[in-house]
Amino acid sequence: MIAGWTANGDTIMVEQMPIFGGYTGGVEETAICDVATTLASFSLLSGNFHLDGPIHIRWGITTARETLKIAGHVAAAIDANTDLLIANQYYPVAGPCTEMCLLETAAQAITDTASGRELLSGSAAAKGVAQDYTTGMEARIMGEAAIATAGMKVSKVNDILEALISSYEKDYAKAPKGKNFRECYDVQKVTPTQEYLEVYDRAVKRLEDFGLPM
Amino acid sequence: MAASRPVNIFETYERSLKGPKVVEKDFDYNILPTNLMKIKQKYNIKFGKEIIPEDKELMNNLFLAGMEMLVTTGMYNADTQKIIRLTEEEVMEGIKKTPKNLVLGEGRDAARFDPRHGNEARKPIIQGGPTGAPVSEDIFIQVMQSYAQEAVVDTLVNGVMNTIEGHPAKTNTPWEIRATMAELRAVREARIRAGRPFMGI
Repeated sequence: MIAGWTANGDTIMVEQMPIFGGYTGGVEETAICDVATTLASFSLLSGNFHLDGPIHIRWGITTARETLKIAGHVAAAIDANTDLLIANQYYPVAGPCTEMCLLETAAQAITDTASGRELLSGSAAAKGVAQDYTTGMEARIMGEAAIATAGMKVSKVNDILEALISSYEKDYAKAPKGKNFRECYDVQKVTPTQEYLEVYDRAVKRLEDFGLPM
Repeated sequence: MAASRPVNIFETYERSLKGPKVVEKDFDYNILPTNLMKIKQKYNIKFGKEIIPEDKELMNNLFLAGMEMLVTTGMYNADTQKIIRLTEEEVMEGIKKTPKNLVLGEGRDAARFDPRHGNEARKPIIQGGPTGAPVSEDIFIQVMQSYAQEAVVDTLVNGVMNTIEGHPAKTNTPWEIRATMAELRAVREARIRAGRPFMGI
């Protein structure tokens, strides 16, 4: 595939999702491996940009404290030493039309933006495994949280993240699946329901309370 | 020693045929964790409570540790059971060869993909979509439109069309190809409906 894409002049994205708690072990070891495979995607696989996605072996999500810490450190390390274009992808545990899903997504957007990533790709709500449990509203919070974060002092960002992650990380086992696309949107008009807009507003208020100027 | 040239995909393939042979379990359970532990200790990689590091030395040491991991351990090809080796000079040539600026999409809908450094005030590109999550074929266009119409979204990433004409889009069947083609048409239709016909997909 890569041989054909290269000959065709296509833009090539190389994707890789290191598993925290798998063969690589803890956060530091997984981060070292993540840096190594990020570099390999450019030097061995002719990638033009890299899509990361450190994922938690127990919960299958990218929004856990440990996986955000890996993503934040790896991006900062690559960013401080190269001009490579790096991205991250989103797998929150909670589903659409829930505050938890929006807060998880915002936490990763804040992390990715403040650690120097160039592209945020998402979001596969409800761990990306439930059919039709993804909507544009999750991308809205990802974008708005990124805009609110860009330019903020990193020490302030870390304080916000500490409060934000602490607010949801005890709830993985009982995370709400949320609602599917047909329940979240008027399918014909492609507009979100009043209920989802109200959930969104409540999540924004929570983020503002944590110190993020939305 | 200086690299003769950057490694291309053909050279990578050749190395994945000719590299040292290792049993997959040995790589996963022995070589990988042992080397990671050694390199972690050598570079004293210890994370604090911060999600994003503020210590420049830690960032640089993590980069060096990752580089050493790649050049001492190599990358494992599970199909050939061989390790693909490369040198630090070849890694650096690969970094130099990589474009530093890209454009995703066309015309007024194009998104400029330029390096950001630290938490600079310029926002990252927002790529909206289900990121590979399964989506029903009868609402695929509407789901993708829900992302394309969002003001903060710059480019799109697909979901996976779960069926095509009611048939499961199973790997290694003709339905997989039909579903992929339908998926591409649906994403193009979604961006047109959102008024952004040249958005990157």
